[in-house]
Amino acid sequence: MEQFFDIAPLILIFPIIGVLFNGLVGRRFVDYDRKTGEKWSGWFATFMALSSFVVVVLLNLALQASHHHAETVLLWDWIVIPSMELSIPWAMQIDTLSVTMMLVITGVGSIIHIYSIGYMHGDPNFSRYFTYLNLFLFFMLILVSGNNYLVLFVGWEGVGLCSFLLIGFWHDRLGKDGVMKNANAARKAMIANRVGDAAMILGIILTFWVFGSITFDEVFHKAIEFVAHHEEVVTLVGTDIQIALSTALTAITVLFLIAATGKSAQLVLHVWLPDAMAGPTPASSLIHAATMVTSGIYLIVRSNVLYELSRFLSHGSFSSSDLVALVGAATALYAGLIAFTQNDIKKVLAYSTVSQLGFMIAAAGMGAYIAAMFHLITHAFFKALLFMGAGSVIHGMEHGHHEIAHGHDGHDDHHEDDGFDPQDMRFMGGLRHKMPTTFWTYLVGTLALAGIAPFAGFWSKDEILAHAFATDNVEISSVMTIVFFMLAAAAFCTAFYMGRQLSMVFLRKPRHAAAEHAHESPKLMTIPLVVLAVLATVGVFINLPEVDHTEMVPGATLVLEHWLHESLGVFHLESELEPILGEDIHIPHTPTSIDFRVAGMSLLLAVGGMLLAVFVVYRKSPGDASDKDPTQKIPLLWSVFGRLPVDSFYSKLIIPGFNRFAWWLSQKFEWKFWHDFIHENIIRDTFVWFAGLIDMLDKQGVDGLVNGLGSATKWLADGIRVTQTGYARTYALSVFLGAVALLIYFLWPYIMQ
Amino acid sequence: MTVTVEWYIALSVILFTIGAVGVLVRRNAIIIFMCIEMMLNSANLLFVAFARQLGDIDGQVLVFFVIVVAAAEVAVGLALIVTIFRTKRSINIDEINLMKG
Repeated sequence: MEQFFDIAPLILIFPIIGVLFNGLVGRRFVDYDRKTGEKWSGWFATFMALSSFVVVVLLNLALQASHHHAETVLLWDWIVIPSMELSIPWAMQIDTLSVTMMLVITGVGSIIHIYSIGYMHGDPNFSRYFTYLNLFLFFMLILVSGNNYLVLFVGWEGVGLCSFLLIGFWHDRLGKDGVMKNANAARKAMIANRVGDAAMILGIILTFWVFGSITFDEVFHKAIEFVAHHEEVVTLVGTDIQIALSTALTAITVLFLIAATGKSAQLVLHVWLPDAMAGPTPASSLIHAATMVTSGIYLIVRSNVLYELSRFLSHGSFSSSDLVALVGAATALYAGLIAFTQNDIKKVLAYSTVSQLGFMIAAAGMGAYIAAMFHLITHAFFKALLFMGAGSVIHGMEHGHHEIAHGHDGHDDHHEDDGFDPQDMRFMGGLRHKMPTTFWTYLVGTLALAGIAPFAGFWSKDEILAHAFATDNVEISSVMTIVFFMLAAAAFCTAFYMGRQLSMVFLRKPRHAAAEHAHESPKLMTIPLVVLAVLATVGVFINLPEVDHTEMVPGATLVLEHWLHESLGVFHLESELEPILGEDIHIPHTPTSIDFRVAGMSLLLAVGGMLLAVFVVYRKSPGDASDKDPTQKIPLLWSVFGRLPVDSFYSKLIIPGFNRFAWWLSQKFEWKFWHDFIHENIIRDTFVWFAGLIDMLDKQGVDGLVNGLGSATKWLADGIRVTQTGYARTYALSVFLGAVALLIYFLWPYIMQ
Repeated sequence: MTVTVEWYIALSVILFTIGAVGVLVRRNAIIIFMCIEMMLNSANLLFVAFARQLGDIDGQVLVFFVIVVAAAEVAVGLALIVTIFRTKRSINIDEINLMKG
C-alpha cells in the first residue's frame, strides 16, 4: 500500500492534461460537432478529475496502511539560495490533513464536473469552461499538497486566478443598466483578494525571518523549540534585529488571518464573494462554496501550532487566535443577517457561504481544528448541493421563461418586460411540483445547512458550538463566550433565511408565468444532486461524537478526529512542552462527547427558525412578485444590513477617495509634476540645451577645423600655382638659378676668402 | 701670344652664357635646341682644355660620352619637335603651355 505514495504527483498531472486537452483542442471538437464535441470536452475533463480522485483514494489507503504517518514526496529543489541557507523544495506533503482536503476537492469537484456538462450545454465557450475548471483543480491541489508556505502560495494565487476567470466567464454580459457587471465582479474578487494575498506574502517573509524556513514541519518544530527553551527574543535571520517571540507569532498569525479573510471572504474583505455569483453556477458551487473559499480555513488549520503557541504565549490575554474566532463569529452573524434581505437565490447562498465560513474560521480560532475541518467537509457537500440545486432552479426558470416567450404567438417580439430575472426568488414559488428531484435534494441541503438532525450540518455545527460552550475552554479565554452567543444567533439566522428561501422558491403558488412553465433539469444535473444529497446525509459518520464517552456507532465514531490526530501538531503540544516547561499548558479541547444542552439548544434554534420562516412569516406572503418582504417591518434589518454596509463603505468612502487619489496621481503628480515639470522642463530642456551646445561645437569646432584645413590648403595652392607658368623657359630658368645657387653654396668659402 | 687655358675657359664661359641666354629668351624650339647643343659643347671644350692642361685622358673620354648622349638627345628632341609641329602647326614654345597651373 505504501508504494502508492510514489504516484502522488499524478494528482497534479491529470488535471493539467485536462487543461491542455480542453485548452488546445477542445474548442475544435466542440466547433466541429456540437453534440459529440461537448461530450468529448466535458467527459475528458471529468475523467481527469475522477482519475485524480482515484489517486487520492489510493493515497488515503496508503496513509491508513502507514498508520496515518505523513509522507513527503519531493518533486524537485525549487529555490535554493546557499548564502541564506534557504532551500525551498517543491514537495508534496501527503498527510491526513492534505488528503482530507484533496478528497473533498477531487470528490466534490468530479461531481460538479458531471453536473457542469449538463448545465453548460449549448454555451459557445463550453471547452473554455472546462479548461478553467481543470486548471482550478490543478492549483487547488497544489495549494493543499505543498509542504511549505510558498508552494501553498502558488496554489493560493492560482485558484485566485481561476476564480477571476470563472467569475468573469460571461464577461461580455451586461447588467440591466448597461454596466459590465460580470467583468466588474471578477475584478472586485481579484482586488479584494489582493489585500489578503499581500498579507500572505508578508506573513511568509516574516515566517522565514523568524524561523529560517518556510517548510511547515520545520517552522512548527522550530516554534515549539523556541517556546520550550524559553527563548523570548528571536533574531531575524540574516539581520541583527531582535523581536519578541510572542510579537513575531502574533504578527505572523494576524497576517495569515488577513490572508484568510481575503480568500475565505471574512469581514471586512468578504464583499467579493456575493458578487462572484456572476459566474456559472457550478463554478460558484465548486469554487465559491465548496473548495477555494475554504483555503483560508486550511491555512489556519495547517498553521495550528503557530496559533496555539500564540494563544499560549499571551497567557490568557487577548491573542491572535481569539481575534480569529471573533472575526469568524462576527462574519457568521453579519452575513447571516444580510442573507435575510437578499432576493437573488444565489446571493442568499453566497451570504450563507460567508456565514458558514465564519463558523469554520471561528472554530479554527477557538482551537477546534477538527470541528473546523468537519464543518468544512460537510459544508462542501451541502453547499455544493444547494448551489447546484439553485443552478437547476435557474435552469428550469430560464426554460420556463423561454417557453412563455415562444408560447403565446410564436414570436419573440411579444416580450413583456416585467423585469423578470431567473435568479430572483420573488418570481419563483411552487417549484416543488415542477422540479421534484431538485426540491427533495434541495430540502436535504437546506436541512443540513440549517443544522437540523440527523443531517451532516447539525453535527459539524454542534461540534463548533459545543467547543465554544465547553467550560474548560471558557477558562482559557472569555472571548469564547461571546463567540458562542454570536454563533448561536448566526445558527438561528441560517435556519430562518433557509426557511425563507425554501418557502419562496419551492412552496406556495408560482408568482410568475415562468415558474409555472419550469421543468425538471436533465438527468446529468439531477444525478449529481442525488449523490450530494446522500453525502450530505451520511456525512455524519465522518466525525460522529460519542455519548458519555462511549461510541455511538462502533467503529464510526470520531473518525475524523483519529484520522487528523497525526497531522495536527496541536494535539502533541501538551505532551511535548509540559515535561520541558514543567507547567500546565492550556490547549482548548473539543468535547468528544455530545453535550445535550448545546445540541438541544442548537436543534431548537434551527427547527424554530425554520418553522418560523416557513409557517409563520412566509406562510402567505409574498403573494405576488411585487409584494414587500415581511421582514422589512423589522427595524434596522433592511435599512442597515439590506444596504450592505461594508460594500457601501467601500463604494462611498474608499473607492471615491481612491479614485480621487488616483486622479490626483495621474493629473497632478504624473502629468503636471512628472511629465510637465520633470520631463518637459528639466530633462528635456537640459537635453535640448546640451544638444545645442554639442551642435555648436560640431558646426564651429569640428567643421571649422576640417573646412579650415581645406581652405588653407587651397589658399596655399593658389599661391604656389602661379609659379607653374607652363612655359618651358621658366622651368629652364629655375634650373639655372638652382645651379647658380648650388654653385654659390659650394663656392661660398672660396668667395669669402 | 700663347693660348693658355684661361682663354679656353673664357671661350667656354662665353659659349655657355650665349647658350643659356638663348634657351631662356628664344621662342623657336629649334633655336633653343641649338642653344642647348652650344652649352653642351662649351662643356666639352672645357673638358678637352683641362685634359690637355692636366695631361689626363679622362676628360677627353668624357667628351665622347657627352657627344653620344647629345646625339641621342637630338634624335629624341627633334622627333618631339616634329610631333608638336604636326599637332600645333607651330614650334613656338610660348604656345606650348599645357603645364600651366
